[in-house]
Amino acid sequence: MTSQLFVLFRRQVLRDAMRHKVLAALNILSVGLGVGLYLAIQIANHSANRALAAGVDVVAGKANLEVRGDIPEALFPSLAGLPGVSGCTPVVEGVVTLPDYPGEYLRILGVDMFTNEPFRTFDIGSGERPFELERWLAQPGGVAVSVEFARKHGLKAGDRLRALVNSRRKDLEINFLLDPEAAVTMDHVAAMDIGWAQELFGVQGKLSSVQMIVSNPQEAKLPLPPGLTAAPPAQRSFQVQKMLSAFELNLTALSLVSLFVGMFLIHNTVSASVARRRVEIGILRSLGASRNEVRLLFLGEAFLFGAGGSIVGIAGGVLLSNLLVGSVAKTISSLYVLVSIDRFFVSPAHLLAAAGFGLAASLAAAWHPANEAAATDPVRALSMGIRMEEKAARVNLWVVAGFLSLALACAASWLALKTGPPLLGFVAAFLVLFGFVCFSPLLIRMLGGAAPKEVVLRLAAENFRRSIHRNSPTVAALSAAIALVIGVSIMIFSFRNTVDVWMNRGFAADLFVTPASNETIGLEAFVPPEAISFLEKQPETLAVDTFRELRVPLGGETAPLGVVKGADRRNLPFVGGGRKAKMAKFFGGDYVVVTESFARRWRKGEGDRLSLATPGGPKEFEIAGVYYDYTRDEGLIMIDRKAFERYWKDARVQSLALYLRDRGMAEGLAERFRRRFSAQGEFAVYSNRALKQRAFQVFDQTFAVTYVLRAIAVIVAALGIFLSLTTVITEREREIGVFRAVGGSRRQVGGMIFAEAGFIGVAASVLGLAAGCSLALVLTFVVNKAFFGWTISLQFPWPLLAATPFWIVPASLLAAWVPALRASRIPIAAAVRAE
Amino acid sequence: MMSRAASLFVLLLASWRLALPGWHYRFPEDHGVHRAFKTEWWYFTGRLRAGSGKTYGYQATFFREGVRPPGSPGTSRFLADDIKFAHFAVTDVDAGRFFFLQKTSRGAFGEAGFGDSGRLAWIEGWSLAETRDGGFALKADGEGKAVDLLLKPEKGFVIHGANGVSQKAEGAGHASCYYSSTRLGTTGRLSINGKSEAVAGESWFDHEWATNSLTPAQIGWNWFSIQLDDGTELMLYQMRTRNGGIDPNSSGTFVLKNGSGEYLARDAYSLTPTAFWKSGRTGATYPIAWKVSVPSLGLELETSTPVKEQELALGSITYWEGLIEVRGKRTGHGYMELTGYAKPLGGM
Repeated sequence: MTSQLFVLFRRQVLRDAMRHKVLAALNILSVGLGVGLYLAIQIANHSANRALAAGVDVVAGKANLEVRGDIPEALFPSLAGLPGVSGCTPVVEGVVTLPDYPGEYLRILGVDMFTNEPFRTFDIGSGERPFELERWLAQPGGVAVSVEFARKHGLKAGDRLRALVNSRRKDLEINFLLDPEAAVTMDHVAAMDIGWAQELFGVQGKLSSVQMIVSNPQEAKLPLPPGLTAAPPAQRSFQVQKMLSAFELNLTALSLVSLFVGMFLIHNTVSASVARRRVEIGILRSLGASRNEVRLLFLGEAFLFGAGGSIVGIAGGVLLSNLLVGSVAKTISSLYVLVSIDRFFVSPAHLLAAAGFGLAASLAAAWHPANEAAATDPVRALSMGIRMEEKAARVNLWVVAGFLSLALACAASWLALKTGPPLLGFVAAFLVLFGFVCFSPLLIRMLGGAAPKEVVLRLAAENFRRSIHRNSPTVAALSAAIALVIGVSIMIFSFRNTVDVWMNRGFAADLFVTPASNETIGLEAFVPPEAISFLEKQPETLAVDTFRELRVPLGGETAPLGVVKGADRRNLPFVGGGRKAKMAKFFGGDYVVVTESFARRWRKGEGDRLSLATPGGPKEFEIAGVYYDYTRDEGLIMIDRKAFERYWKDARVQSLALYLRDRGMAEGLAERFRRRFSAQGEFAVYSNRALKQRAFQVFDQTFAVTYVLRAIAVIVAALGIFLSLTTVITEREREIGVFRAVGGSRRQVGGMIFAEAGFIGVAASVLGLAAGCSLALVLTFVVNKAFFGWTISLQFPWPLLAATPFWIVPASLLAAWVPALRASRIPIAAAVRAE
Repeated sequence: MMSRAASLFVLLLASWRLALPGWHYRFPEDHGVHRAFKTEWWYFTGRLRAGSGKTYGYQATFFREGVRPPGSPGTSRFLADDIKFAHFAVTDVDAGRFFFLQKTSRGAFGEAGFGDSGRLAWIEGWSLAETRDGGFALKADGEGKAVDLLLKPEKGFVIHGANGVSQKAEGAGHASCYYSSTRLGTTGRLSINGKSEAVAGESWFDHEWATNSLTPAQIGWNWFSIQLDDGTELMLYQMRTRNGGIDPNSSGTFVLKNGSGEYLARDAYSLTPTAFWKSGRTGATYPIAWKVSVPSLGLELETSTPVKEQELALGSITYWEGLIEVRGKRTGHGYMELTGYAKPLGGM
């Protein structure tokens, strides 16, 4: 920037911004909201990833190779004795819930202090009680909790903790405090002697992992029994992150919509400022300013908004992330993997990206008006009375662009589903949104062409049409925001209904029982056999189905395997029908069934074979069928309990579904069961209805974040109306003056502005509804299918759709309140000075 | 109610046995592990000479520190009933160098333990075994140093203290069962920095077991094992108290040529430090030279050490244990152990 240009910038842009403080502030705010939302989502995602990676790190410590699976402990000494192994330590892991601290849990690592010294990433024995090996080894249930955890709950060494493990009450005692190294911060991690951990979790003879330091982890060939895997620990955090990537990408995409809406506002403001300063531009140009300098001036204005917005957005985003993180952690925990986000991680890269998006969006939005300013002919600009509205002729061009964009959206959708990558689904969604907003000029011309009898309305319609250059982006911004609300609402509504139908078919049992801790920490705990036999013996009981889930190695990764007894009553909805034949196969031999999302993720279908690692060696299972399931996007392999026990020799189960003679008996039986086994809330017992309610609670929690995103998009759009009308009035000052001079009343002027706002609201509603419905199609059939592999039957929440104009139009009128008031107060004399 | 009675029963079962007067020693049975007692050690020290004329001191000790008394509940293989650890030290007198190493193990997979067929104690490659001729085989190695020795008692085992227990503090149970083989002919090989030499010399073997023999007022002890050139041996100890004094429950044993032991009460001997050495590593100041006097035996001895730095700096159990030379009316050599100087010794 030359010094001369800088002077110009200061005089023309900065001074102007100071003069129109509210306008400038609103622009900055709109960019700020978009940037802030994007950043908040990034921080939440990143913090979740870091928390999960830290979970891997705290277990693996400084290991470079990790053996996982259902490890017989006798394997440990043979691994430790292998050549090239310089460190080797066994680990037993488990999670307990703490009934005295509802919702709290501890991930307990059973460690061997004799061998884990080279791996350790925490100090045990900080604070007033230093570590003593003898106490560590001697105390049953002795557990070292993190300093943070102890502080949070006011606990100290020597305090007792009640824990639930496999629905049994266990007494723990804090023996020491644990201080994690700075890099690994996990408040919920606790450590215990490995022997006591085996006792606590009842896994004598088994290890969860063996952590190793070997000279060449990539080449290491360990003599492992079938069913066990050896891989660098980093690979495990990579897998977890891969699993979450679709979820996180969805949030990111939604968060960017606000910025997209904000772009229209910047566009409007800059083009208004171009219009307002046509004369100045003319003077500058005739004094020798180049086109480029003029362009730079207006881009500079946008840069100002972008920079201001980025600063506001970064500050706001960090604050907003505090609100979002809890919700994101809950969703990840209920859908994917147990995580609690105890620390926020803000990486400089995210700050830069957020600021970059803010600036780029602002500059891109200002590009068109800045170019127009640069193209201004000095002669025409200096002659009074010529107005900018001649640009209206471009309407047809936008219509063509709109159709083109929609056609591209179709192509992108097709590709996303056929070949991938799934990311194309978002491209399609964006193209749909963009395609529809391209129709705003056309819609404005049509609506504005209506010629009502009433004079104020007629003038308003005329103004609405004539200010097409200004109103188009406003209508576009508002309709994009509406489309987002509508599209996401339809998608969630359809999803919810689909799940409802599916649950009604699939969850036919009358009573569900699972260890209470499973609600907090996922399926970890087992149902004790005596509880099962008690329930089986009750007179009300017709049958008891069981379920258990574990992870099995599959193609270098792991996949969840569900073990069911009595799946015939679950009434699995198969893709392509044929339930009877498929279920007969499933119960008859070495068959599995898989969920639709599993089939998509692993590219396996009916008739394909899966090689699963059983304790006796790899075993092939044929896929008998693919069924609809909405519980997780990771997918699930389901196996009959008989087949499982044949190869895995493990009869433990994690939840029960009871069929009763009469559903009315459920409460009585539940009560008896609670008295006998769950006096201290060791079990979660749900009736059929309560389980469905609970499932929907989880469902709604999952989408809680999207409500925030939608709300912010609408706020940005409402700001847009306010901004747009304010500029329109500034532009029309002379005109309003003339109108008042020839006898128009203040009321009429105000009414005119209100009416124009109403037109904006109506146009945006129409366009937003149409775009929203189309967006819903893309979200439901393309994005969902491509990312998660779910089949959702599209359903429309008609009342919500019908209600759209009834909240958009009033919102538009509300946004018009201040501009209308201002317009009605324009002094006539000053306004008509030029006439 | 039932469960309370049961847990009381378990509690009675699961408690440590105290070293009380009247223990009847039987050999070789008592060489083995005494799991009912909380603390136990097998202690070998000795002076060895190589063919080259070089002199070495060595120490090899297997410790068992009980964590849970026998009969404690739990079935996990990883549950540790005791902490198994061992110390190995070599003093290269001519080079003036001292080397020490500690091994600790859970022993969950039998890599360390006490009392299997033949072995009395072992941790990984370190082991103590009985030989068929009533002697011992001792092995330890690490960081280029190693001993592989055969030890043959030249006298019978001598039992310290009175009525089968060596009292360490006031009160029943503040004592240990303690016997020694005060002179073992020793042959074998010793390696320094990978260079192995045939060695021969004399060793001293202590075996001691107890439960909480120390009181909180005691912080450590000074202990001497002296092999005089006239074929007699002397064991003396002083229990050191927190206030800088000596507990009256200190005693010694004089072993005659024929192997019989004479009990030395606290007032039968005196120990006076004559020189001190401050450890650069731990900051502890050790009395490394002494005047030893046993008037009833006419013994007036002065001890000194050829290598001052014979400190095993091992954190919470740092102590000085090293080869000493004895001069005076009679001459000899031995080992001296000074504990509780860096930090009070607890829980023994």
